[in-house]
Amino acid sequence: MAKRKSLIKVKPKKYKTGEVVKVSFMVMHPMATGTSKNKKTGKLIPAHYVNEVQFLFNGKPFTTMKTWESLSSNPVFTINFKVPGKGELKVVYKDNQGEVNESTKKIKPKG
Amino acid sequence: MQRRSFLRGIGMAAAASAVVSPTIVMAAPKGGNAMSIDAAIKAVTGGKAVTKSAKVKLKAPEIAENGAVVPVTVTVDSPMTDADYVKAIHVFASKNGNVRCADVMLTPANGKAMFAARIKLGTSQDVVALVETSSGEFLSASQNVKVTIGGCG
Repeated sequence: MAKRKSLIKVKPKKYKTGEVVKVSFMVMHPMATGTSKNKKTGKLIPAHYVNEVQFLFNGKPFTTMKTWESLSSNPVFTINFKVPGKGELKVVYKDNQGEVNESTKKIKPKG
Repeated sequence: MQRRSFLRGIGMAAAASAVVSPTIVMAAPKGGNAMSIDAAIKAVTGGKAVTKSAKVKLKAPEIAENGAVVPVTVTVDSPMTDADYVKAIHVFASKNGNVRCADVMLTPANGKAMFAARIKLGTSQDVVALVETSSGEFLSASQNVKVTIGGCG
């Protein structure tokens, strides 16, 4: 299965332990609602959307999301996160057609 | 038939179909998810009372030019400690085919209760944020968003 492009961004770029940062997770996904038609063939495009996103830090989940097709295509999910220390931030996401992917980012607080 | 009444009849029919057809498309049931906004909120709260609160801040544009991409930010004024934190943020779009947009389950590790995403809106409608706190209270905030070009379909 072709891997989807996804990205985790942490803002601001420099942060310390205990600081609250913004974590954005973006994924290139069509988020088809299942009501639109393919203009060439006239057939309905089947629904295809991300339905579960889980944020983990060092393997421990701290935020889980259930989502539906009402989100825009190529969605961006932004949440806050209090940095507890060094570790690995991982995002696992599933969609309604059974694709499961993940993306990771290392968390390195300064000071 | 006289020309005048005939034309009027055609005009009425065209207007009626123009009004009715998009609502039918948007309201068409899709699986088990399609329900009204009240039913969806009830399914989440389990029948508990929902209070409108100034603690919940919903940031969305008043006029969205493109309904396919409407940025929505929900922030909740909460200390986010183990004793008092925001358990979940639910986002609803009241007139979409599927009113539910996202359920976000938060923990004290988040530091601040915030959720931002971009949603699709079919027509002009209210966007509702429902917040569940750790003490079991339900708080809400809503904002009307006018959509120039619908984003469903």
